[in-house]
Amino acid sequence: MTARVRMAENGAQLVSRLEGRQSLRDIEPNIFPVDGGPGQGDVVEFHGLEGTGKTETLYHLIIRCIMPVQNGGLEVAVVFIDMDYHFDMLRLVSILEGRLAEDSKEGDSSESEPEERVHSCLRRLSVVHCNSSVQLLLTLHYLENTFSSQPSLGLLVIDSISSFYWVDRFNGGESTACQEANLRKCAELLDRLRRNYGIVIFATTHAIMRNYASDPGVPEVPGSSSSSRRWRSADSSTDFDKPYLCKAWQRIVTHRMLFTKNHVSKDHKQVFSTACTSIMTKGVKRCLFQVIEDGIKFVCDK
Amino acid sequence: MVILREGICPGINEEFIKALQSEDIKTVEDFVSCNPEELAQKCSLSYKALVAVRRVLLTQYTAFPVSGADLYEELLSSTAILSTGNPSLDKLLDSGLYTGEITELTGSPGSGKTQVCFSVAVNISHELKKTVLYIDTKGSMCANRLLQMLQTKTPNMEEQMEALQKIKVFRVFDVFSLLACLQHLRSNGLQKASVGGGSVKALMVDSVSAVLSSLLGGKQNEGMSLLMQVAGELKMIAKDFNITVLVTNHVTRDGNGHLKAGLGQSWSHVPRTRLLLQRVEDAETSSLRTATLTKSSRQVCHLVEEFDLCHWSEERRTSISGKRKLEERSKP
Repeated sequence: MTARVRMAENGAQLVSRLEGRQSLRDIEPNIFPVDGGPGQGDVVEFHGLEGTGKTETLYHLIIRCIMPVQNGGLEVAVVFIDMDYHFDMLRLVSILEGRLAEDSKEGDSSESEPEERVHSCLRRLSVVHCNSSVQLLLTLHYLENTFSSQPSLGLLVIDSISSFYWVDRFNGGESTACQEANLRKCAELLDRLRRNYGIVIFATTHAIMRNYASDPGVPEVPGSSSSSRRWRSADSSTDFDKPYLCKAWQRIVTHRMLFTKNHVSKDHKQVFSTACTSIMTKGVKRCLFQVIEDGIKFVCDK
Repeated sequence: MVILREGICPGINEEFIKALQSEDIKTVEDFVSCNPEELAQKCSLSYKALVAVRRVLLTQYTAFPVSGADLYEELLSSTAILSTGNPSLDKLLDSGLYTGEITELTGSPGSGKTQVCFSVAVNISHELKKTVLYIDTKGSMCANRLLQMLQTKTPNMEEQMEALQKIKVFRVFDVFSLLACLQHLRSNGLQKASVGGGSVKALMVDSVSAVLSSLLGGKQNEGMSLLMQVAGELKMIAKDFNITVLVTNHVTRDGNGHLKAGLGQSWSHVPRTRLLLQRVEDAETSSLRTATLTKSSRQVCHLVEEFDLCHWSEERRTSISGKRKLEERSKP
């Protein structure tokens, strides 16, 4: 009902709303299911324990977006909301330089200095630091103007949306509705943004809730190693993938990617695996990758 | 949540607040989430005033996006790597402790975490001539030990005193004083704490699990919330002031019997790099330790290096066969 009442928009905003954004369906065919890549308005949740490669995968996808088309990129602007001060710009730039260097070996690199190319890519990326869920909500309201006025902005990354889970739970007192209020408002706002502007949203969540087979309501108790021996060992991939964020968030997620540590390969490199499920396709798309100097290297398994 | 009060921004006065309260809007986030057109229809305020106030509030309370290129330039000029003084640890940490990050040392009691913190503090204050803030939660800070370490580096009394002055110790024994101390440091600016021309470049908390582990467990949320608040403060201090944060933590065993860092899954996401310290079995001297890299965004994990707590600056070559004669340095 309220969607019918729109604020007056100027011509540029109208065109950007109707024209649609650059499609991100082919952003990474290795990890997304066939024909199930993130289209306009999709929300992808990256879920996993610490050290399972979520941030590296995000860097890989972001670089794919900001690189120029002649290097295999999509030239899509990205907004990165950093909720726990985890963003490592130096690592991102080192991967970007590696990618630009390897792609320019084939092509003609006479146009500009490598530094200038890195800068022009970085101009497509904006980074925001939020230090509370209230600030996230207000920042998303502020960014609404940015989305409507910049049609090249196709991707919003939130790392990580579960950072303030415990702080909100405590501040909300006894009532679950109060505890989840901020995140629910953020989820509703994200829903509106993705429907109105067609942006793709990637969000990481930390896996902090253990999926106990017999007692789904018990959160993990840190430091009590004796109780953890009663449950299944942590090797099974379903052990830490219990969704714990509010229902409003779970309703808008269209793709869910679970990251786990796999085995250690023969040359002592850790191999990670992702399992992607989406509401549009059936089945699970699995993929293995390793983290190297220049980013992610996919290990072909079939 | 931010409560709407008179005077938090121009244009908000008593009657404005009253009119909003009649629509059950008490906080800034409620106000911003409402559509100004609808609100203007429901209560007696003008649409223009509502839009203006909304714009001012958003400008005041949101975080602003920074372009990636500017952020990169800023980081290039301000990130520093502080050497720990021990070549083996520096190898594991990819040449040292990086500013803007949290590094964690874990280990069982007696594995040398506090000694490593002392050695790193002495190295930073004496070699690099920078101020170190040391938050001691266990009462294990011993100035005599710091003096001993400095005496092996230089015989000059004045230099020793200068270096000792650059290490500022704060004693806190519960989580609320820790939070108060961190917030005080953050709000007053660390420059006030810097001594004798050396700016603050390191903050050490020994140990963070001593104040937090007693709060965790059971079904209360307060412990987890305080843990995340401490994590948030440490990260903000590290990033905003460009210093390196070193924390120590205890270990527990997981379901497979392997050692893992304490304080649970939620804390495990907080540090960027983690080292596990262990004693060396059957060593000739009792000061040998191994450090294993268990979490790093720059190196391959599970690298192991051996080092000697007593001979901090020496390169240690692990001997595979034969005995090594180690001189026992006489402690002055």
